[in-house]
Amino acid sequence: MPKVVMMRNARGKLGFCRRVASRALVGTGLLVAAAGTVHGAVPPPLPEEHLTVAKLPAPTPHWIWVFDDAINNEIDMRLHLYDGDTHRTLGQIDLGYWPMVALSPDGKTFAAATTYFSRGNKGTRTDVVEFTDTTSLETKHEVALPPKRIMSVQTFFSLSFSSDGHLLYVPYVTPAASFGVVDAQKNTLVGEIDTAGCVLAIPGGPNRVSSICENGKLLTVTLDATGHEVSRATSDTFFDVDKDPIFAQGVPSAGSVTFVSFDGMVHEVDPTGAKASFRTPWSLTDGAEKGVWRPGGVQIAAIHAQLGRLYVQMHKAGQEAHKDGGTEIWAFDTKTHKRVGRWPLGSPKLTPVIAVQVSQDPQPLLFAATATGQVAIYDALTGKLRHIEKQIGQTPWLMFNP
Amino acid sequence: MQWLDRFFEGRTRSLAQRTSRRSLLAGLGQIVTGAALLPLLPIDRSQRAEAAPPKAETDDPTACEYWKYCAIDGFLCSCCGGSSSSCPPGTQMSPITWIGTCHNPADGRDYIVSYNDCCGKTSCGNCNCNRNEREKPMYRLSLNNDVNWCMANTNVNYHCSTSVVLGVSEK
Repeated sequence: MPKVVMMRNARGKLGFCRRVASRALVGTGLLVAAAGTVHGAVPPPLPEEHLTVAKLPAPTPHWIWVFDDAINNEIDMRLHLYDGDTHRTLGQIDLGYWPMVALSPDGKTFAAATTYFSRGNKGTRTDVVEFTDTTSLETKHEVALPPKRIMSVQTFFSLSFSSDGHLLYVPYVTPAASFGVVDAQKNTLVGEIDTAGCVLAIPGGPNRVSSICENGKLLTVTLDATGHEVSRATSDTFFDVDKDPIFAQGVPSAGSVTFVSFDGMVHEVDPTGAKASFRTPWSLTDGAEKGVWRPGGVQIAAIHAQLGRLYVQMHKAGQEAHKDGGTEIWAFDTKTHKRVGRWPLGSPKLTPVIAVQVSQDPQPLLFAATATGQVAIYDALTGKLRHIEKQIGQTPWLMFNP
Repeated sequence: MQWLDRFFEGRTRSLAQRTSRRSLLAGLGQIVTGAALLPLLPIDRSQRAEAAPPKAETDDPTACEYWKYCAIDGFLCSCCGGSSSSCPPGTQMSPITWIGTCHNPADGRDYIVSYNDCCGKTSCGNCNCNRNEREKPMYRLSLNNDVNWCMANTNVNYHCSTSVVLGVSEK
């Protein structure tokens, strides 16, 4: 009996394999015979294969974690790991129902605050934070949560680690706003801190958390080493919620956070002090572009820390289109505030850009995820299009560098 | 607790007809905030669930362009077994919601609408529609369509979204 017929599936059933293999052999035999007739020599058989489980190679700066909201089946959201150089998907982390995710500062752990139901989409609800090893893609442990965590469009502050990674902040909205504190080293839920209607958890150093308030201010809570509140302070107003609100999807970079407003103002925030402070805002547009071109999308901007480059997807639209994707990507020098690149999508195949991220190496890649699940890869220095991945998930709305 | 629901509904509609949009929204925001303390039905529209929306000859409630959907984000319940103002069979209405102001071209009026989610089943998957007129990020929660408004339901699964007229917005 040829060896190929000996293949058995996990349940040890040979019948189906045998039939399929036999037919394949007959077909192959005919082909081989025909080929042998034409070319003379019959090629040797293929070597045996042994099923293995792949291991991730060492990470490179050009890997990207793509959060998929899986909008058509939201109880099954995922993180996809993708290599921007080889254009291969490397693996996946399962996330459950409408999770909020955060990558630890050392890049070794993905945390996901998520929800499961005992019978698929119904039954007893369980809320947990799961901690997944980014080298094995195996979930290592979890911490139980009360059933009050925020479920929203993803931001970097919907779940966040302290800068030293020892605390994890879990925003709650019931719709009362607060956040839970998890000790990520002891794997315990420390407690809950009320935020007086302010939402999200923007980490500032190892022991401070800021939340965005309805009046355009930041509430900063200072914690002790165990994660309990020591003091709180409210900042000055730094944006106009009615006239020109900021996108909640701020960009954390080198200890500061950059927010972009609906009309294209850039607000740079220092969240590390007992009271948050702000640099003078600057505009992405001037002249004839002002009030005509605006940012649009979900992950609205990305920053290359070393190069001092800010990337924003822009479109010609009104404020009401603030979640429609961009048709161009603009690059700015964060020191001079000058535009250094203006790149139309460059391919008629691309739909508007919903999310952007940039790798942090000297030869950076710019990743642009679109409204239809494409991910385009550009040279972040020149704007040259290098590759279009036709589909990564259903709704790739937030991307993380490794 | 139906009396409480009717009380909030009456207050909301009365407010909508008597006040400007901004002050109405401020009031509704307080109601939503209060929902944390009273996890009941701050803005219940169950009594209005079967009411027909204002008609316009060209209106198609299964189209994203339908006038009532000016700040909706999600699957249209009209494509999922319900309508623009009713949840599909077997789902549950969300007791809390976000609010929009939409212009009806058929009569030239602006209307206050609430975008109640329908909950308890997984994503409908039909007629995904995202429009954001006057929508605000989640720090202004009562005007935000990003959060899961099934958050206060027993089963928090999001299925689809409706758009229910609360009353005329007087300028």
